[in-house]
Amino acid sequence: MRRYVIRRVVQAAGVLWAAYTVAFLVLDYLPGDPVSAMAGQGLDQTSTDPAQIAQLKHEYGFDKPVLVQYAEYLGRAVRGDFGDSVATGRPVTSTLADALPATLQLTTAALLLAILVGGGLAVLATYTSMRWLRQVLLSLPPLGVSVPTFWVGLMLVELFSFRAHLFPAFGNDGLRGLVLPAIALAIPSGALISQVLAKSLLNTLNEPYVQTARAKGAGRARVHLRHALRNASLPALTVIGVLAGQLMANSVVIETVFSRNGLGRVTATAVGSQDIPVVQGVVVFGSFVFVLVNLVIDLVYPLIDPRIVVAGRPA
Amino acid sequence: MSPTLQSTPSPAPRHRGRLAIAGSFAAVSTLLLSACGSGDGDAGTGSPSSGGTLTFAVGSDAGCVDPQQVGSNDTIYSTRQLVDSLTDQDPATGKIVPWLAESWTVSKDATTFTFKLRPGVTFSDGTPLTAQVVKENFDAVPKLGIRALLAKSYLAGYAGTTVVDDHTAKVTFKQPNAQFLQASSTFSLGIESSASVRRTPEERCTKGVSGSGPFTLSSYVPNQSIALAKRKGYAWGSSLFKKKGEAYLDKLVFKIVSESGVRTGSLQSGQVDAIGSVGLADEAALKGAGVRLQARANPGVVFGLGFNESRPLFKDEKIRQAISLAIDRAQIAGTVYPSGTKPATSVLSHTTPSYTDLGAKLALDKARAGSLLDQAGWKPGPDGIRSKNGAKLSFTITWAPVAATNQPSLELIQQQLKAVGVDVTLKLIQVAQFQVIQQKSDFDALWGNITRADPDILRTSYSTALANIYRLPPSELDKLLDGQVAADDPAERAKLVGQAQQWIVEHAVVAPVVELQTELGVAKKVHDLTFDASSRIQLHDTWIG
Amino acid sequence: MSQMVDEGVAAEAAVGLGVPVEKGRDGAGVVRFFLRRPGLVLSIVMVVLVVLAAFWPNLFTSRDPLTGVPAQRFQAPGGAHWFGTDELGRDVFSRIVHGAALSMKATLIAVAVAIVVGGLLGLAAGFVGRWVDDVLMRAVDVLLSIPALFLSLALVTALGYGTMKVAIAVGIASVATFARVMRAEVLRVRQATYVEASRSCGTRWYGVLGRHVLPNAIGPVLVLATLDFGTSILAVSSLSFLGYGAPPPAPEWGTVIAAGRNYLANAWWLTALPGFVIAATVLATNRIARALDGEWTRR
Repeated sequence: MRRYVIRRVVQAAGVLWAAYTVAFLVLDYLPGDPVSAMAGQGLDQTSTDPAQIAQLKHEYGFDKPVLVQYAEYLGRAVRGDFGDSVATGRPVTSTLADALPATLQLTTAALLLAILVGGGLAVLATYTSMRWLRQVLLSLPPLGVSVPTFWVGLMLVELFSFRAHLFPAFGNDGLRGLVLPAIALAIPSGALISQVLAKSLLNTLNEPYVQTARAKGAGRARVHLRHALRNASLPALTVIGVLAGQLMANSVVIETVFSRNGLGRVTATAVGSQDIPVVQGVVVFGSFVFVLVNLVIDLVYPLIDPRIVVAGRPA
Repeated sequence: MSPTLQSTPSPAPRHRGRLAIAGSFAAVSTLLLSACGSGDGDAGTGSPSSGGTLTFAVGSDAGCVDPQQVGSNDTIYSTRQLVDSLTDQDPATGKIVPWLAESWTVSKDATTFTFKLRPGVTFSDGTPLTAQVVKENFDAVPKLGIRALLAKSYLAGYAGTTVVDDHTAKVTFKQPNAQFLQASSTFSLGIESSASVRRTPEERCTKGVSGSGPFTLSSYVPNQSIALAKRKGYAWGSSLFKKKGEAYLDKLVFKIVSESGVRTGSLQSGQVDAIGSVGLADEAALKGAGVRLQARANPGVVFGLGFNESRPLFKDEKIRQAISLAIDRAQIAGTVYPSGTKPATSVLSHTTPSYTDLGAKLALDKARAGSLLDQAGWKPGPDGIRSKNGAKLSFTITWAPVAATNQPSLELIQQQLKAVGVDVTLKLIQVAQFQVIQQKSDFDALWGNITRADPDILRTSYSTALANIYRLPPSELDKLLDGQVAADDPAERAKLVGQAQQWIVEHAVVAPVVELQTELGVAKKVHDLTFDASSRIQLHDTWIG
Repeated sequence: MSQMVDEGVAAEAAVGLGVPVEKGRDGAGVVRFFLRRPGLVLSIVMVVLVVLAAFWPNLFTSRDPLTGVPAQRFQAPGGAHWFGTDELGRDVFSRIVHGAALSMKATLIAVAVAIVVGGLLGLAAGFVGRWVDDVLMRAVDVLLSIPALFLSLALVTALGYGTMKVAIAVGIASVATFARVMRAEVLRVRQATYVEASRSCGTRWYGVLGRHVLPNAIGPVLVLATLDFGTSILAVSSLSFLGYGAPPPAPEWGTVIAAGRNYLANAWWLTALPGFVIAATVLATNRIARALDGEWTRR
């Protein structure tokens, strides 16, 4: 077990390092001249001067060979230093740290909503014996993954803020301000959860032990909820990593729609002003969360599902 | 409100007694009063009361909360409240009146300005206002970064400030500087505390400054909000303020909401109390929702296309003239801007002192535009776009989303220019990047305006001795611009300003398009939200009730 | 927007929820197959309409999508303008029809990039095996660990704005999924007896690849491509909604919604109807993908 844990942690660190490398390649290497790109952002007022550009290049280390630059940047990144935002001059790490709580609040609310509604939908759809209800319920998730999230957000604002005056249309203020963005954000995630869970439930319901339980005279609801759901939830756990990434990515759009301060809006603004250090920080942070969530799932999974053999990668 | 007014008096029932009729008349007169109150935005119904929070939604954040360094209206609305200026300007008459300076004298040749400061003024960090602080402020301005384009141009030719005594400061210039007195009334030369001006320009931007204004900065979250709180013990308001002493409102919260649709909807639903930059599109709905619309034409340089004359295409005067002639200004003003907005009739708006009406030269004339382009060698191609030696007649207009009206205006210009065979690409940049682009002249044509209640704004924009963002070659224009600022006789100055406008329009240095009319949407419960001389807002006298 | 949905997971999840399997003779069977699935028929009609609009917009409208009549601005949907008019009096329906060309082009490019790059990677990994497989699959794991939209955003930051660049950024972000599926299929086919047999008969490697492996492995990749089509429409429109697509006045779908958002409070049709078209198109392609995946073969 211990060796398994160590191996998974090392693997996760390796993936993270590689993700940083991808971000470095895309953002620092791909643009022809990052300094000119930066100089265009108000970094320094006299940057039209070639001598100044040369000096800037020196300061940022762009006059060094790529590998040396990479090593220096990586060394700083390991210590949590991603440099300063070109647009605001603030350190990237604190920019992201300041924006994180609001996004965490939003994504947690959305995740809870997605699990409740998406999970409930899957259970109901597989439980009901009414054919039409099942058809209707099962057609909802495909709809949920097909609607553009930003459009759902705009429609919610139009209906519930502008027409019904029920919830604020923008901002980070309080719980009421959280309702609409959380709903919009929860839709694609909830749809994914219900698709995966419904499938898993159907598979489980056909398994022999469930049939046995039924044959022994256990009630339908009891079998469905106690036996099937419990076992069917395990495979559904594997999509949590995917969900984390999905929620983070969709928060870029949702925070823009609702003018909410947070990681997503910071990202959208940074891309809009080609603020390379911030975008880099966001990309690395995104994969950090993804890798972390998957690591936790991989480590927890064998504990809750004894059928999983520790030696292999579960999934 | 109006239907009530019309219906109440007529069906006065006959069988009722006198008392009832008298009562209904009494009701009518109150209604009349309140209708006037909400219609004009002056004289409210009840008596003004202190307290409350005003939530104001603006469209953009310039990324800086130092009034000396910002130029975009959305940010000036909030930062103006942080500082007081030496003088103030009466929006009705244009007259310069006392604020921090009780009195002043200007030397005959307009090179020396002596301000006698009001005693007892303190900054929000507790330090007192002295002549030394004024000196430190002005000394620091030329060292500010590119953001302080306005402040720097107001102090062009600055020789120094002498501290005559604790409350007397003498500002001197190397050349005559007729515009400086008006400049001393602007937010760009608002006075900040000694500690504030010693900070780096970047620090002043992100952390804010201590001023002596009626409000102090309580928090600034970039791209999200700017919150201000009432300054306790404020007792040195401008002579124009109606209320003596502290402001009425406890808090001001400026929310940055980039979509005009969301701003409008939030004002209609009551989430915010006031919004900036209302466009024609939302007027009817806002009026329907009982929102008061307040409009005032901004003085200064109108919205237009400033050509970068270092680009080969725009070195040719004919091209610039053709573009200016191909623009249908009336259509743009009538389709996009708040009702009552005037198409440009000069490079200056009609509310600027010494404005000259050159409307005849700025009329739509597609035929002449076409023939000018023909003369310049640009012949229509098969796709309708003109070309010369295989190159297409195309250029880029760079713009920032500082007003909701920008994009539709530019799309109309794009259509109008296409009609004469000119291809236009629109390039959107972030508001915070705008000044950098200006400074580097990194554009073909730039869409923008500058508000100032003094014609010297022409020198700020087009003098080759200053920033010269349009990369103009030295010309006759420089003499006119330098001449007007040196003129000690107002009539002489007006004449030179008129000639400068004529020169600019004739040589199509810029294609003026439409005047900016600031239109604010203000909820009924907000009273006395007033415009200052530059059509920015003054919130000291504003109250909610 | 659901570009983060792991297509594999979604595809798998979709299977098995379908209508029970039925059997029938060929001609009548096909008819019955479709008759029992009105939703699928509707989806095919929708996709055909969108494709027609992308290539021959004039079939649907004769109005100019770029030039409007300012006097007729903000007209609500009605007989004269099905989708109403915008702030400059342009016909919104015409903008959506003409925008289909831009949005479909971007989506096709994105899917093509994903298929070609991802497919080649997967093919190489699966066919060559050994260390090539290891290296490529580790790289794919890394790409999968970066949320797709973040990867697209990073690419857009580096490449700049524009329809083409957005399309490439979206395509690269889904390369990893394609590489995985392709590899799995190649491995499956490679081990099949007839391929082994063919090899032992001395057929050259490219012969084996071209004649046996590719044709048999491509099926699931194409199903994934159909599914990715919907995902890419959403991703492309999200990026252009955020303002990274074609500059105005180009009527790219996301851009049209972003512009309409400025009038959300009082002209609902500028955002509601274009969004509805996007949702319907994505729904339709997803429905077709599901049909291709299971229902059709099980017939």
